[in-house]
Amino acid sequence: MNKLRILIKFEWLNFRADKGLLILTALALLAGLYGIYYGTTEIERQRENIAALEVLTEQNVEEMKMKYPGDADAGDLGYYHSTFAVNHPDSWAGLSMGQRDLNPYYLKLRLLNLQSQLYDTENINPLKVLSGNFDLAFVLVYLFPLLIIGLCFNILSVEKEQGTLPLLLSQPIGPALIVGAKLVFRIILVLGMALFLSVLAMWWGRVVPDVRVVLWFGVVVLNCLFWFGVAFLVAALQKNSAFNAVTLLGVWLLLTIVIPALLNVYVSVKQPVPQALALTIQQREVVHGGWDKPKGETMEKFFALYPQWRDTAEIEGGFAWRWYYAFQHLGDVAVADLAKSYEEGLYARQQLVNSLNVLSVPVNVQGVLNAMAGSDLPAHLDFLKSASRYHDSLREFYYPFLYRQVPFTHADYAGEPRHSFTGSPDFTTIYSGLAKLLVSVLLVFTAALLLFKIRTVTVK
Amino acid sequence: MNIVLEARELRKQYQDKLALKGLNLQIQAGEIFCLLGQNGAGKSTTINLFLGFITPTSGAAYINGLEVASNVTRVKEYLAYIPENVMLYPNLTGLENLSLFSSLAGFKYAEEELMHYLVQAGLPAEAAGRRVGGYSKGMRQKVGIAIAVAKHAKVLLLDEPTSGLDPKASNEFSELLLKLSDAGTAIFMATHDIFRSKAVGTRVGIMREGELVDVLPAAGLEASELEKLYLNHMHV
Repeated sequence: MNKLRILIKFEWLNFRADKGLLILTALALLAGLYGIYYGTTEIERQRENIAALEVLTEQNVEEMKMKYPGDADAGDLGYYHSTFAVNHPDSWAGLSMGQRDLNPYYLKLRLLNLQSQLYDTENINPLKVLSGNFDLAFVLVYLFPLLIIGLCFNILSVEKEQGTLPLLLSQPIGPALIVGAKLVFRIILVLGMALFLSVLAMWWGRVVPDVRVVLWFGVVVLNCLFWFGVAFLVAALQKNSAFNAVTLLGVWLLLTIVIPALLNVYVSVKQPVPQALALTIQQREVVHGGWDKPKGETMEKFFALYPQWRDTAEIEGGFAWRWYYAFQHLGDVAVADLAKSYEEGLYARQQLVNSLNVLSVPVNVQGVLNAMAGSDLPAHLDFLKSASRYHDSLREFYYPFLYRQVPFTHADYAGEPRHSFTGSPDFTTIYSGLAKLLVSVLLVFTAALLLFKIRTVTVK
Repeated sequence: MNIVLEARELRKQYQDKLALKGLNLQIQAGEIFCLLGQNGAGKSTTINLFLGFITPTSGAAYINGLEVASNVTRVKEYLAYIPENVMLYPNLTGLENLSLFSSLAGFKYAEEELMHYLVQAGLPAEAAGRRVGGYSKGMRQKVGIAIAVAKHAKVLLLDEPTSGLDPKASNEFSELLLKLSDAGTAIFMATHDIFRSKAVGTRVGIMREGELVDVLPAAGLEASELEKLYLNHMHV
């Protein structure tokens, strides 16, 4: 233990004197700080936008009141008045933004058909989406492995290459202690940085402290240990530093880019999902076709679904809002199966990714962190479901005004339902991901230890 | 007889080459054994076997009565080693390097004591606080000597230790070896330097093609005689 402490102390002296390592470490730290800034700023911007939506809704209500100073027809309001379904970011979202930049975090909803509104989103800058999020999760999952590689690619080879190993091994210490001390020093350094950045991000992002604090630390520690294990495994091969560096970068490239890209292709082929566009087009055709169908036929279909409105007044004349909203809704009903298969397809695809992510630790870790922050695909699908339920509640609110032909007064605006949704952490994904990560760490360290034991360390 | 370094039928085979052919040797405390031989004669192989850097094909090496192969770490407590080309941590100072190796050997010295060892080994005091990266080969060699001396080992293994030292420093090193020998340290030195072997050695061994072909007491032997004997063995 004493000798381990001595070696660690001298590792620190060596590290302190090595400008290259200091610059590398400082860059990693700066990247982490920028990741925290980026994530929290981006999520704060989303929060501000969501707060502005409430103001917009209230402004819209005021505009409606001015437009219809007296009693209004609920049909007009359903058409001209809009409200929003909002996906509030979880307090952890700034640490791991997941798909919150890709998928809409709010939906503008009117009483019209739902499906066309679910996929009708704001334009986004594709270049920004292409570059992805530079949040803390990105730094920890993709950049910290590079730091670990930079620190560890020559842990044993440098002793041979600079010729210090013979003198070192002529002391009463074994090669295992030398490599162990080097690894322990680097693990303390990297984990110290990773945990410091995590704590800073949690404080900066004002996260609600719960069990996820422990889980986050667990994932971060295991992720770093996995990469230390890989570096140890490569060091145990006892090749030169150049070989080690190229091999480790190759492993990083394989696990962070090649395998995820192949997984993406495989999952797309294995689990095809119907396009949301096809769903929207089919739904539009049904809705537009509604104009040409006899009103009685449309209403009969609608009353079959909602018999409580059957005894309402007959539709007379060329146009009635009741009829209009009936065929709007029937448009949604017509594509219900397609919508369901689209949703199920996305869930199944996510399941497939979850089962295959054992092939790539970065994919697994990113998935766990996103699941923790409620920013993954299932969280978005939950939001869409919540938005659908909200649309149902809007219809339930407006239908009595429409079908009983009750005038909509200014006081009725206050009764209109409002929507709020916050993605919740997916603990099933988190725990299974953690278990896989733990197994990966154990496997890589076991392999490294075995190889280290089999291949006797030579001084040259 | 206090034998602290011993080889019994020590043999090392490298694929198609027999590097050491059944070496038998005993060295007592306070004795300086100088091993002469050409490059590739098996001198470094012998030292590496005593250090436990390589394992013997057959036979055994002993340090202070402990078999090296089965006590690789423990025997290092009893020995110090100076290689032909001492390589140190370039980012650390001479003092820090000495402190590191001494600490690992179990000695905790104050800075003044470390400085004493370095100066005793011939390193200028003002160089001790500088990074080793800027040292000459000779300066590094002196730090290596200080590391070995500061370890107070029972056995000193030297592989061409004066390589890179100027004649004055080499002479001082010889005097240091004699002092250590007087203090009871057994010294095994592989060298090409016939005259230094004669000057400091208790016994001189001649090795050729992995075989210890001759062992002579240095006392009463002229350097010229030794040289002649050596050359005779080399030209057989």
